Amino acid sequence: MGIFSKLAEWLGVKRKECNIVVVGLDNSGKTTILNKLKPDDSQTSDIVPTIGFNVENFSSKSLQFNAFDMSGQGRYRNLWEHYYKDCQGVIFVIDSADKLRMPVAKDELDQLIQHPDLVSKRVPVLFFANKMDHRDALSSVKCSTLLKLDEISNKPWHICASNAITGEGLDEGVNWLSDQIKSYLRDLERRRR
Amino acid sequence: MAEITSREESKGYQDYEGNKKWLNAHYDPLASLYTFSQCIALSDINADGENKLIIADLGTGTYDMKLKVYRGTSLMSENAIIDLPTGVVTFYMDLTEPRTPAIAVASGSFIYIYKNLRPYFKFTLPSLPIDEKEESAWIQAKDDLIDVSVLREILDGLRSKGVILTVRSMKFLRLPPHELSTFVTLHKNSPLKMQTVVTCLETLKKSHSEDDAISCLVLGTEHLAIYILDPEAFTILTKIDIPAVPVFLSVNGLYDVDYRIVVACRNGAVYSLKRGSEVKKPVFQLSAQPVGLQRIGKNIVVACMDQTLQCYSTKGNKLWLIRMPADILTMEAMEDKQKGFKGVLVGIENHEVHVYRDKYLVNVIKTEDAVTGIKFGKFGREDSTLVMTTKGGSLLIKMLKRTAKFEEKDATTSSGPPASQQQKLNVPKKTKLFVDQTLRERNNCVVMHQQFQHDLYRIRLEAARNYAESLNKSLNPISTNPQEPLKLSVHVNGIGPMFKLIVQLQNTSLNSPSVGLFLTFHFDSSLYSVEKTLIPVPFLVPGLNYTFESYVECKSDKGISDTIKAYLCRRSSSTPIITGIINMPVSESIIVS
Repeated sequence: MGIFSKLAEWLGVKRKECNIVVVGLDNSGKTTILNKLKPDDSQTSDIVPTIGFNVENFSSKSLQFNAFDMSGQGRYRNLWEHYYKDCQGVIFVIDSADKLRMPVAKDELDQLIQHPDLVSKRVPVLFFANKMDHRDALSSVKCSTLLKLDEISNKPWHICASNAITGEGLDEGVNWLSDQIKSYLRDLERRRR
Repeated sequence: MAEITSREESKGYQDYEGNKKWLNAHYDPLASLYTFSQCIALSDINADGENKLIIADLGTGTYDMKLKVYRGTSLMSENAIIDLPTGVVTFYMDLTEPRTPAIAVASGSFIYIYKNLRPYFKFTLPSLPIDEKEESAWIQAKDDLIDVSVLREILDGLRSKGVILTVRSMKFLRLPPHELSTFVTLHKNSPLKMQTVVTCLETLKKSHSEDDAISCLVLGTEHLAIYILDPEAFTILTKIDIPAVPVFLSVNGLYDVDYRIVVACRNGAVYSLKRGSEVKKPVFQLSAQPVGLQRIGKNIVVACMDQTLQCYSTKGNKLWLIRMPADILTMEAMEDKQKGFKGVLVGIENHEVHVYRDKYLVNVIKTEDAVTGIKFGKFGREDSTLVMTTKGGSLLIKMLKRTAKFEEKDATTSSGPPASQQQKLNVPKKTKLFVDQTLRERNNCVVMHQQFQHDLYRIRLEAARNYAESLNKSLNPISTNPQEPLKLSVHVNGIGPMFKLIVQLQNTSLNSPSVGLFLTFHFDSSLYSVEKTLIPVPFLVPGLNYTFESYVECKSDKGISDTIKAYLCRRSSSTPIITGIINMPVSESIIVS
């Protein structure tokens, strides 16, 4: 990092960069959420099932995010773990209308939490209980009990109900995530010194 | 709330090793679904990317039959069915967009077709010819020419002759005497019809093999026929007669190209039908009635009522047989394309579901109740979902974990051939001599066989001659004459030159004693000298052993030996009754000196 970029960062002109992975079962709305988080002029109108993964960039008020939008289909889920190593945050998207597959989501979450690349890190995990507008959607509280989120002890986590189509609830979640990532990065730097 | 408590109840089963490969997605003990595997289907009937669970519920068996559709964990729709359902399939019947498959429910002698969960069409099986005598009997009853007891007698007579009667006649014969006349007055004016009943239902792709290609319906009936129906006009494309009542079907191929239908019948015979071929004899006959039939690759796997799971090749050779710990209730194929897994799921009476890959048990799922209906496939958006219904009417939905692996390690510990059987034996190469010999034998087989037969006859002739001679001369030690039931045996003791002959005599009759007999020896006097050449035999009591002894001296020192014959004779006759031939051993004295 050159002296100018450091200066720019300190002055708040250039934002700090961080990598996050966006995971969740297929059809939960990961791509739609990221699409909504992008600036208005670069949003697309048609969302298709992701194959493999996409890299999306978006920014909050203080951070520049490199988001790995992973495919949620069963056959691509084994790709997720390869991106855990150098990520500073995780977004886990839940389809709150798909009550049947909650145990599958829980199984995938357990594998994520216990993965060797993440188990000892205090990486913040943000949950979106997506499709809150859906008629038989579960509440965010119900989602967190079904996924047993209260049993996650070594990572900061937050759940918020969202609607990716209207963008409801997304900002709240992203703000929480950027605060957490900043403190996490600060923590890392302090330890390095 | 009920769901949460039930999940906690099932915790004990969660700890079980085999259940850890599965995620418990849903458990509803109060679903009151009474059904079996043929009446369960998974299909995307709304064309929205989510598969629904379609179940024909048998209700109590007499009423409350319903077609239920589940979307996720909740019941989406219910349709009443009039008669007992025997099969449910979904199939694409046209190419109109959006591609929504139709549901076909077999019930009684009808196939009900539903589209978008609304009744769409009812197919009625063609009525069959009625027995003439039965028809005339009913006509006479209608015109009051015969009374009910005579009608009953006629119908009973026809039934005992093996005539297949109409449903009305069978109901009539079942009634108690005082209800007969009311039954006849109620029904006599409606025309008599012979209706058959659908026993099993399957689908067969018509001309393309894609997942969403148009399919024909294949159905088996109680009156020994298989029908293939056109999916658009519901006309009968093909009718195949088979010798027994079909109960399970397994269909492969395309109707327009080539297809094969494997049919398991109620009497345990399994037939294989091909396009354009006649049915003659079963491919194989099972030891007991079938409870399930699946084709896994090229093999046919059948579950039987004698607690066995059997596998046959398409040609009918039995490949393997496994015994189950309890009665088999149902069987279903399990195919996971992502994992490349193909196997069968077997629901057993002892509250277990076994997963077999080939003949190896790879997983055991324990449930709270005996499983009667199993379906494996895509439900909702999850590809490998296991849907089970139990005897008590509960509904279980389990999903295979992404990380679950079915290892073959169970296979080596459980049944199957031991590992040593797989080792190659060090068989030496064929020698030139062996090859030459084989070639010679192959070229001269006729001559060799003739020679062998010739020699065999010679041996038999020789044996017969000797036997006849010995009978004539009484040369054998057991008497063949029923008047003289005697047995003689001789031993030689000693090493020479002095030997001791021990002769044992026995009267083998039950209660007739022998008198007036004597023993004598015949020998070469230049070689041997016998101490007692004549031994008078006393009164022989039946059953007792008499022992006589005599010393024999060998006179020669040349190391040669001869035979000595012992005769048992009667004073009045010159031919002996029985003869003992003694092969004398070589005198040892020569060796000593």
